[in-house]
Amino acid sequence: MAASVWKRCVTAAVKVKRLSPSLSARRWMLSAAYTDTKVWEAREKDHQNLALLASTMDRTYDRNLPVSSLTVSRFVDNISSREEVDQAEYYLYKFRHSPNCWYLRDWTIHSWIRQCLKYGAREKALHTVKNKVQYGIFPDDFTFNLLIDSYIKDGDFKSACSVVEEVMLQEAFDGPSTQILSLHALASYPATRPQLTVSEERALGASLLICGLRQDNTVGLSAQLLGNALLGKVEMLEGIHAVFKGMPLFWGRGYLGRALAVMERVAAASADVKLSKDALDYVKDLLQELSSTSDSDSSGAESAGEEEEEKKKEDTKDEDDQAERAKLAQYVSRLEELSSQLESQGKVDSASFRDSVAALAQQNLAAAEKTDLERYLSRVQAWEAENRQLIGREKEMREKAEQEKRERLAARAAAQQA
Amino acid sequence: MVKKRRLRLIAEMARKIRAYRELKSRPRESQKYALDYETMKRPHTGKMLPVLAWQDVRRESRLFSLLAGMRLFGMGRLFTRKSWLEEHTEPSYWQITKVKVDYTAENMDHGRAWGILTLKGRQESEVKELDKVMYHDWRLVPKHMEQQLKDFEPLPEPPVRYVPYPPLLRAMLLAQHKKAVGSVVAEEPVLPLKRDVLLNKDYFRRQEQETQRTEGTAV
Repeated sequence: MAASVWKRCVTAAVKVKRLSPSLSARRWMLSAAYTDTKVWEAREKDHQNLALLASTMDRTYDRNLPVSSLTVSRFVDNISSREEVDQAEYYLYKFRHSPNCWYLRDWTIHSWIRQCLKYGAREKALHTVKNKVQYGIFPDDFTFNLLIDSYIKDGDFKSACSVVEEVMLQEAFDGPSTQILSLHALASYPATRPQLTVSEERALGASLLICGLRQDNTVGLSAQLLGNALLGKVEMLEGIHAVFKGMPLFWGRGYLGRALAVMERVAAASADVKLSKDALDYVKDLLQELSSTSDSDSSGAESAGEEEEEKKKEDTKDEDDQAERAKLAQYVSRLEELSSQLESQGKVDSASFRDSVAALAQQNLAAAEKTDLERYLSRVQAWEAENRQLIGREKEMREKAEQEKRERLAARAAAQQA
Repeated sequence: MVKKRRLRLIAEMARKIRAYRELKSRPRESQKYALDYETMKRPHTGKMLPVLAWQDVRRESRLFSLLAGMRLFGMGRLFTRKSWLEEHTEPSYWQITKVKVDYTAENMDHGRAWGILTLKGRQESEVKELDKVMYHDWRLVPKHMEQQLKDFEPLPEPPVRYVPYPPLLRAMLLAQHKKAVGSVVAEEPVLPLKRDVLLNKDYFRRQEQETQRTEGTAV
């Protein structure tokens, strides 16, 4: 089914890979300067005893008092072994379920991901990012880049795609470096020939669409086309509510129609934009598959003669969803004419989607990395300043509390004496 | 002689303690609005949701179910309601400015939120508390659709129409004016077809007080 469809694209990609082995992953990933931990390690350390912090936090939680974000950030900063990573995960969970959950700092999240990567707890980091509701981990784009990059370097495209899905759910495709890395992960993932369930297809389609909307070139438009097509397939199979529930997607029906609109836009555009050939082939195969399954469904139901079951199924499906399904034949015919139009205009790029992503990465990644690094440095300095301010504030409050306590004791002693 | 009321101090104290304990044991939002999705009943009160809402409850999500998975609980993002999408063609949405989450909820699923409402394209000026937060009706506006919603220009309101007063009322008004001021009024009194006042208890009480003050016959 879907796997066999991708096989055709895969064989083309594999052939290219064999021809030019230098195009394999290592060259266009994030440079060593980006993933360097020197800047992060060079921050001034606030050495605290982890056991002491842990006991303080436990006592504060027992007494139903709020724990400050500074305590949690100190805990995460001072992790020094794998077991402490697990303990930190527990305290992050507890902090999220406390009144101060809104105040979890950016640098705590960044430091948590860094520590997980350092102590080999990458699956734990992925687990906390996936369960962001329970842990409150919302990394920024630099942190996401680090995580995706570590997965791509190991060739684990499935996990890289799940990280990209999290980026999509937070709609954090702001930086060009994030976009390029995600597109690379999304393009390389189907090359491993996975069996995609409907929900995985939906996530893949949504990530492709939202990432592609940010780019205005061949890669972006092909990504939008693929994304819309995948989401249209899910819409046909499950209905529109299954598409946009829980995802930042538009709730209007007709994703396949929007995919065809992308093609129309490319055909009508005067600029030199193209659509990659394997994207168009994939959409064609997808539509044919959908129409064949819908035909077999209806013919099978008629031949079985179980009219009651068919009626019940029609009741549960929405009327508008049914109207969408009826448009399927229309979409197929429109696709035919649009693809012929594009080919006649010469707007079909014969390079595979993966190669075009690679070319884009080669062009833009270096510049994007530089801007990202500069922003990161200034951000680290801002974080340090805020950290110092928080520490200063905590010290002041502690001194004030001490002073008040001393005054109270003095007053009580004076009252007792008198 | 009326028997003097006994000073029941302990009962007074007990009443205060009971009021305090009731204040302390108020149910949290997560307890009040928890829902059993199989029987469509709220465990807190035992009441069942109205039947027409069942399909929505199964298909859509509460506001805080969406906010829990977002950075900073979706501050500054736009949210629509499915009922608004069906009722009005003009875009209506809330922009979130402040969130107070109920941290005892397991999935951070409940809480209160404040924001700026834009109803049918007209934006309001103040921050108000979002109502119907716990309804299974909410949809997040994705960032690529935000500009489309914000760009909408509402049509200007049609001008207020005026009609002449009924003849007896008009005569009463003119007579009143002549008695008060002395001269004949120059222009025709007109009745605006848009009501400015909100008809509630306070309004009627004020009207009664005013009629009691002014004496004499109307005509």
